[in-house]
Amino acid sequence: MTRSSTPLRTTAAAVACTTALALLTGCGSGGAGGSAGGSGVIHVLVYGDAGNTVEKRIVDTFNKTSKVRAVLDTIPGADYQTKLQTVITTPQAPDVFFDWGGGSIAPFVKAGLLMPLDDMIAKDPALKADFLPSVFNTAVIDGKSYGIPMRGTQPVLLFDNKKVLADAGLTPPTTWDQLLSEVHALKAKGTTPIALGGGDQWPTLMWFEYLFDRVAGPGLFQRAVGGDKQAWADPASLKALGMLKQLVDAGAFGTTFDSVKFTDGGSPALLAKGKAAFELMGSWEYATQQTADPDFAKDQLGYSAFPSVPGGQGDPNDLVGNTNNFYSVRSTTKYPDAVAQFLKLMYSDDFVKAQLAIGNLPTTTNTPDFLAGSANPAYSKYQYDLVKQAPSFQLSWDQAYPPAAMTPMHQTVQRFLDGQLDANGFVRAMQALPTP
Amino acid sequence: MTRSPAPGPAGLTRPGLLWALPATAFFAAFALVPLALVAVLSFTTWNGVGAPRAAGLTNWTALLHDPVMLKSLWLSALLTLLGVLLQTPISLLLGVWAAGHQRNRAILSAIYFVPLLLSATAVSVLWRALLDPNFGLPAQAPWLFGDGNLLGSRDGAIGVLAFVGAWQWTPLHTLIYQGSARAVPPVLYQAAAIDGAGRARQFWHVTLPQLRTTMVTSTVLMVVGGLTTFDTVLILTQGGPGTETTISAYYMYQQGFKNFDFGGASAIALVLVLVATVVSLAMVRLSGYDAMRAGAEGI
Repeated sequence: MTRSSTPLRTTAAAVACTTALALLTGCGSGGAGGSAGGSGVIHVLVYGDAGNTVEKRIVDTFNKTSKVRAVLDTIPGADYQTKLQTVITTPQAPDVFFDWGGGSIAPFVKAGLLMPLDDMIAKDPALKADFLPSVFNTAVIDGKSYGIPMRGTQPVLLFDNKKVLADAGLTPPTTWDQLLSEVHALKAKGTTPIALGGGDQWPTLMWFEYLFDRVAGPGLFQRAVGGDKQAWADPASLKALGMLKQLVDAGAFGTTFDSVKFTDGGSPALLAKGKAAFELMGSWEYATQQTADPDFAKDQLGYSAFPSVPGGQGDPNDLVGNTNNFYSVRSTTKYPDAVAQFLKLMYSDDFVKAQLAIGNLPTTTNTPDFLAGSANPAYSKYQYDLVKQAPSFQLSWDQAYPPAAMTPMHQTVQRFLDGQLDANGFVRAMQALPTP
Repeated sequence: MTRSPAPGPAGLTRPGLLWALPATAFFAAFALVPLALVAVLSFTTWNGVGAPRAAGLTNWTALLHDPVMLKSLWLSALLTLLGVLLQTPISLLLGVWAAGHQRNRAILSAIYFVPLLLSATAVSVLWRALLDPNFGLPAQAPWLFGDGNLLGSRDGAIGVLAFVGAWQWTPLHTLIYQGSARAVPPVLYQAAAIDGAGRARQFWHVTLPQLRTTMVTSTVLMVVGGLTTFDTVLILTQGGPGTETTISAYYMYQQGFKNFDFGGASAIALVLVLVATVVSLAMVRLSGYDAMRAGAEGI
């Protein structure tokens, strides 16, 4: 099949897409403005949330010295990826945009839509050297760099309710066996051992990602995401799957986890109200609890790394999560030099301080100098050291795979946990996923 | 178009074709053309980036062997059926009762209609919070809800979707039945009373037959609403657990805008168009909807 297509088909697709987009989103919802033509403007598209305060400031800083003006566009909520994908091929595509690296940009790279940043880095090595390598490499595809880290890193940690643990005479587990025995002890006391927002599906995936890495080491997933379907049927993969099942069968998550979500505050409330002892969650759990229950976040929210698995290939210091967010650059941007200047701000002191102040943890090499000014210095330092020492930092699988794999992957994990799929069914479903 | 239409019997002119032009143009631009484009897209592979690539029958053969597609059609039908079975008796009884003229009924009726004023999104968010197993109603009434895993089990999730749909739409149908019940000529009830019919018999032998065409209208609305349900599924279950509540409309959205498989989503869309056409033709035939004009001239 050739890549060329008749003009009719292209036009047809464009019209259908535009119509669908208009119907679904309502026309003119703000969004990205046009960057076509020599208008002297670059558009910066970011995820619309509380983090925008820093991005507004960065844009203002940039505009003070630059002839080319930067305009910040935001897309609110969880629809970011959907809307980005629909706008990226149009003349309204942004010059610079927020993403998660890895599979989230792989289809764009394949379609030739992104600019490799290696030339920019050659002119200004700090664009690469000033960031932690484990983080920077997430946006390297086929040996070329396609993203500069922005915002912060978000490793997944095992959070706990200090009071619940203390009342049961327990401490955060450091090994798998200790976790299992604590699960039994907590269950005996009538506490749900682990809060799980199974209704969102992705929180369950985090458990499997960690177990998989601890048992098999990072290499096996790299094989799987690289297209080696046999990786999922590897004994290590099956062993990790068995351990997840063991946890479910032990009643670690209770019986109603599929009716509970993280996104509507359900599972965090279980932890904060003492109905559950643990929750495995990205580092944003802290900010979530701080908003919902500030006293709990301050006094009773404990955190530790995922337990080690004796006999596993994976280093206990390995991390899983969202390594960082990235700025990628559209290959057709009219002002690559201005974009390069803009990206330099991502490792500036001002940027690091501003991110820390809103609770994000940037991953520039100079971040430690400013940790004292963060929202919670001890927590920020703990995270930073974890990320820095991690031999491997695995990007969340649903971001490492292409967007098309996300829903089937989530459903597969959920159905396995519900007992609708056995190990073989799980392996077959994972093998059927599209790889980058 | 210079031919002036002949004057009608009451001095009215027959409407010319010209009057239908704006509507026809809109219908063509926003329904027919997109439909044709969707048909073209269903024979391509397209992830929204770059140009679509011709894929022959790939999407269609995949769809034929897709267990989720068949299940989603069955689920749509099931939810529609549950909707009709739940809502018709309740809204019929409430509507007839509310057709009375006492003051308290007017106030109560007004309260019944509140759910109708809320958007489906608000309704879904509300019920999602109310049905939380740990902090919602199930935690307060374990004797009724068991462990409260409503949205995490197949039967529970389908039940919740049917219930929330009924909670939101029963008022509309009550309103329709109320209006229709008020239009029943009082003389029929007087005659029935003289013949010695009690309230139950009056309802059975006078009210129900008089509401026949209303029932058809109401059922058509319920079926159309049931088949196009989307928002409640999106917010309450996201098609889960697993794919247990993935109805066709949600499946199409998921394939297109979550998995970026616009070719596959287009194929699903065409199947939906086909099914909807067949269903609506069947309903017109079986319900005698097309004969309604005659019904209106009856009494």
